[in-house]
Amino acid sequence: MLKSLKSITFGVFAAALTAGVAHADVTVYTAGPQSLIDKLSAGFTKQTGIKVNVFQATTGKVMARIEAEAANPVVDVLVSASWDTATDFAKRGWLVNYSSPNAGKVPDFLKSEGAVAQGISALGIAWNTKSGTPKPTEWADLTSKEYKDLVNIPDPAQSGSSFELTAALAGQDNFKLFQDLKANGAIIAGANADALNPVLQGAKAAVFGAVDYITLASKAKGEAIDVIFPASGTVIAPRPAMILKWSKNQDDAKKFIDYMLSDEGQKTVASEMLMPARTDIPANRPLISDLKLLKYDTTAVYGKRKETLAEITKIYGGK
Amino acid sequence: MLNPTKIGRLPRVRTDAQRSAGAAPAAWLAIAGLTLVVAVPFLAVVLQGIFPNLGQGSFSGPFSSLIATLGDSALIGMAGNTILLGSCVVLASALVAVPLGVFRALYKIPLAPLWDLALLVPFMIPPYIATLGWIMTLQPRGYLQQIAGFNLAPFLFSLFGMTLVMAFNTFPVVYFAVSRTVEAVGSRYADVGRVFGATPARAFWRITLPLSAPGLAASLMLVFAAAIEEYGTPAALGRRAGFQVLVTGIDLRITDWPIDLPGAAILSILLVAMSLATFLLQRWILAQRSYQTVGGKPIAKDKRPLGKLKIPVMIAFAAVSFLATGVPLLAILATALSRTISGGLSFDNISFNNFILVFSNSAGAVNALINSFSLGIATALITGLIGVMAAYTVVKTKIRGRMTIDIMTILPNALPGIVVAVGLILAWNMPWLPVTPYNTAVILLLAYCCILLPQPVRYTTAAFQQIGDNLEAAARVFGASSLTAFRRILLPLVFPSLASAMLLVFALASRELVASVVIAPVGMQTIATFIWRQFEQGSIGLGMAMAFIAILITTLLPLLLLMLLRRSGLVAD
Repeated sequence: MLKSLKSITFGVFAAALTAGVAHADVTVYTAGPQSLIDKLSAGFTKQTGIKVNVFQATTGKVMARIEAEAANPVVDVLVSASWDTATDFAKRGWLVNYSSPNAGKVPDFLKSEGAVAQGISALGIAWNTKSGTPKPTEWADLTSKEYKDLVNIPDPAQSGSSFELTAALAGQDNFKLFQDLKANGAIIAGANADALNPVLQGAKAAVFGAVDYITLASKAKGEAIDVIFPASGTVIAPRPAMILKWSKNQDDAKKFIDYMLSDEGQKTVASEMLMPARTDIPANRPLISDLKLLKYDTTAVYGKRKETLAEITKIYGGK
Repeated sequence: MLNPTKIGRLPRVRTDAQRSAGAAPAAWLAIAGLTLVVAVPFLAVVLQGIFPNLGQGSFSGPFSSLIATLGDSALIGMAGNTILLGSCVVLASALVAVPLGVFRALYKIPLAPLWDLALLVPFMIPPYIATLGWIMTLQPRGYLQQIAGFNLAPFLFSLFGMTLVMAFNTFPVVYFAVSRTVEAVGSRYADVGRVFGATPARAFWRITLPLSAPGLAASLMLVFAAAIEEYGTPAALGRRAGFQVLVTGIDLRITDWPIDLPGAAILSILLVAMSLATFLLQRWILAQRSYQTVGGKPIAKDKRPLGKLKIPVMIAFAAVSFLATGVPLLAILATALSRTISGGLSFDNISFNNFILVFSNSAGAVNALINSFSLGIATALITGLIGVMAAYTVVKTKIRGRMTIDIMTILPNALPGIVVAVGLILAWNMPWLPVTPYNTAVILLLAYCCILLPQPVRYTTAAFQQIGDNLEAAARVFGASSLTAFRRILLPLVFPSLASAMLLVFALASRELVASVVIAPVGMQTIATFIWRQFEQGSIGLGMAMAFIAILITTLLPLLLLMLLRRSGLVAD
């Protein structure tokens, strides 16, 4: 008994030591989905022989880790789910300027000096097709009495894209839509996954502003759910990939970005129900050209982030 | 010539000195372990609270975050909610667990091992999973409505619902502590009371219950600390009820860009102060008298028959087992076996696909299981060793500074997992360190040891407090060295408590989520991070299948271990 316990303890330490040795590899921190980064790193290693170390969490938790590591950072490549990260990191001078040869077919608004989109997600209405409610086509439909107490809103404080949607729509009518939703019994229900789960089971009929690729993946698995992109417009969330300036491994990091933007890499992105960043890669889902995008000034919107969140908190009652 | 006071005194002075000398290795081991496991990350958190730019390696602008954080108008509400929730959970746990524990200890309960098992399982169900199970059962169109036609959503998303869900998760701590200590006190002391004319109820209230106070108080304190530190349930249920607690506030500060690590550190210290206050209260209550009941005299182990109480007591055990174990487990299993969530409970929606995916190592599921269980075992061994040394030093020696040791063992009690993680990164990722456990599995081990160390310490402290000093003294009189006395007398007597604490640590470590998510080394998954990632991607069924398998293993593995130990005669039944 004791012997086996000893050997297990030893095993843990041995595993720990070998994990510590792997240093010449590319270290990627990424916001989900896990399956995408697993496939991308497997494909990259197969092609180049360079190993990829992955840390995957939500954008918030990835940022917390980078912030705590700031004295001695280890991340080479960061893929965030919010373009805001790229803007902020560029301002801090943390990014390596790199223009990948494969980024030619990426539209200009999806790349900057230090960042390029891996893929894009959009927000839509996730609707349970078995909910017995009429199929919504517009954001405002969810304020009608058929959806009384049946709408979840992802928390804009916990998700960058939710925040942009909230700010853009609230800017159009000074929060009237959100007041009407509240009057119709809509609630703010945690981060993206927390908002979607009750809709899958049918406790709620719709998510107001659900991340599309998670919903589309659920639909592909046979869930009775659909995504509707309102014709009045929605927001997209390009997922910026960046090389950090402290990386001791920048050449390999650049190779990783190249692979991510290659035909194979972009097809992998599309297979996860995200929109590929390159316009010449097909995908089995609506693309940016099929969507109408809301017009808003990102800098101004983020400048008033605190005020916007405070107003939402006021409408939906203390959090 | 013969001065009785002098004679009476001399040997005692010598024992004290000897005891201190003999105890030195235990004390040094405890101090070294506590410094590494507790003091280093805690100090990093405190320094982060004082120096906002510590993460960049700079000591500029000390105390600049303090005013902004403590001046936040929402703080009083959050702190009040935290104490309210903690107190409600303690009260509810005590109401459920104390009667059951007392009956289990003093009476012959039919099927007793079965009830023990049923009440052990809630330990093994991760709180965030249990909460999700309750949500999927009670929400509109949830499992309850699909079966019975009605839902209880308004109850669930409230302080009442939160208290209930959390109490069902934590009351086993109290149940096992009470049944164990009351059993150790036995009915012998109460019988003495009966001989002197006390009614059974009076003998219980005035003798048995007060003598069981160490175990009860220690377990209630653990419940309070667990409740104010718990993240998953308040985040999932409380937010909708407009009920924010300190931990959800801390999490928001850490994960919402721009990240406010100093603010999170300051709020965490506030949380630790709350838990420290309850600890000092508990210490003060216990210092009022002696609780030594294990004096080496044989205890009659025969328990009383239940008599007329048999049916109501059976109903109580069955009802609590069903609510605490049955409902969450059934909800988890139903979700794991569903082809789609929207398909609901119907025969054509049953599929084993999720379980097949786990066993075919999809997304690294099997590796996650192996990682978590190895880490769980290592954490149990390390915290058990440090815990028993620290408890022995605090209770049974007179070494100066033992109060400091005791306080160090309590610090992590209310330190939120995510803050422990940040503290460990700050401490172990400094550029000048020649070697560092950071980005290896050892950092997870350190995190789990820090978070869970209070468990073995509190359990073994309570056990040591009930052992009379004369037992060790008797062994010494007969020539045993202090090491032999510890090994042959004290250790066997505290071993049941230590073993159950270590099993608890194993279960808690193998499912720890909040710290693991932030601190896991690159490329390494644990059970909890696997489940969490599946949930994040909307694969609830796969996450639940993994949860079910993990619960099964964390329940069966310790039972197997206990059986082996019993067979080898190390533990009595």
